[in-house]
Amino acid sequence: MNGLKVMIVDDSPFSRTLLGEILGSIGCQVAGEADSIDSMIEAYTSCKPDIVTIDLIMPGSDGFECSRALLLHDPDAKIVLISSIKDEETAAEARRLGISGYIQKPVDGETLLRVFKNVMAPDALFLKLKDTAAEVFGEALAQTMTRMTKAPANFSPSGTIGTQFLSQGITTVIGIIGRHSGTMIMDLSLETAERIVFLLLHRRPKNPEETIAMVAELGNIVAGTACSMLNNKDKAFGLRVFPPSLFSGNTAQVASPGMELQGGYAETECGHIFLGIGFKKGPVLWT
Amino acid sequence: MDVKIINPILAAFSEILPQIGFCSVRKKGVSLVESCVAYEGVLVNIALLGSIKGVVLIGMSMDSAKQVVSKMMMGMEVPTLDSLAQSALSEMGNMVVANSCMQFNKIGIEGLDISPPTVLISESGTATLPVKKAIKLSFSVDDIDVNVYVGLE
Repeated sequence: MNGLKVMIVDDSPFSRTLLGEILGSIGCQVAGEADSIDSMIEAYTSCKPDIVTIDLIMPGSDGFECSRALLLHDPDAKIVLISSIKDEETAAEARRLGISGYIQKPVDGETLLRVFKNVMAPDALFLKLKDTAAEVFGEALAQTMTRMTKAPANFSPSGTIGTQFLSQGITTVIGIIGRHSGTMIMDLSLETAERIVFLLLHRRPKNPEETIAMVAELGNIVAGTACSMLNNKDKAFGLRVFPPSLFSGNTAQVASPGMELQGGYAETECGHIFLGIGFKKGPVLWT
Repeated sequence: MDVKIINPILAAFSEILPQIGFCSVRKKGVSLVESCVAYEGVLVNIALLGSIKGVVLIGMSMDSAKQVVSKMMMGMEVPTLDSLAQSALSEMGNMVVANSCMQFNKIGIEGLDISPPTVLISESGTATLPVKKAIKLSFSVDDIDVNVYVGLE
């Protein structure tokens, strides 16, 4: 790890010195140090490290508080938690927060090197997921619409659409969890949704709730189908879907901060349906 | 829905907000609401999956959202809810809900996963949670009104 810049956050001068020695022995450079949450952000901003090691147990603000503050400052910060405690729930909390690594004390060079390499390495599975997800979700939407409405539907990808867009009227948001987590956002106008209900039930929707329920079900089927298709391509994805949330009303801005969406439109007999899909690396916690 | 399910959310809210720039967190009220809730302003949507599942929505008016982001950014002026402000709101949501999973773990509800946050901004909208009934928690954080809708079962 020649030249990898590491910043150490630890209240103990002895621990910082010891860790600095070990980092030096594996070719890393100690770019900065902080002894508390108060000095951490300033040190991080000035030294711009590749990785930050944070001690879990510190007086005042603990490692989780420091990690939250750092991720708030820079959501892309790569944090490796160092602790004498190592249990499942601490690991789960670290994963949920977006911490990249978790090492138990006493720290040795070999473990640091292995965890740092994994944290810095491009994740082949993640890249594969990012490359294929938009096409598969689009195909799942087109297939589902074709089957439900008995009329052909085609999906036209638009590539990367950024982190936000304006809703056409009804938005369903479905979280996805697995080796990497993500979000599927499906968006359509009220008129398109009502036309789909008409095609399916051969009558107009009785009330807005019926239309919303149809969109929720459609979103659920599309997300479930797409995740099954991706899991069949590579079972290591291990994708599952969260329950859907539905949003409707006056033009809403929909944003997925920190996660680029890729997507496109399905052209259907009922109107066009937008579909956006984004994944973020993790929650992977290297130990 | 068992009302006890809100305790981990209350605990997380009270534990995390003081860590990100707020001095006081006051619970104003708890009420049972329909799964369909009207909102004006901002909603942060985070889903949970595990032995319980559903959604937590954190809602506030546009002005409240700007004040919340300003507090999180040490008093910086926040004239619009731009991508930086949206990122701050989603991080706040992520931290509260991630911490609530730890609180759930303490009462034996283990192995929960959370979805990435999605932020919705609208002058007038409706959110439908994937449950029959939801619980609305009203907070005042440094005199800013924040509502949390818990739809878990």
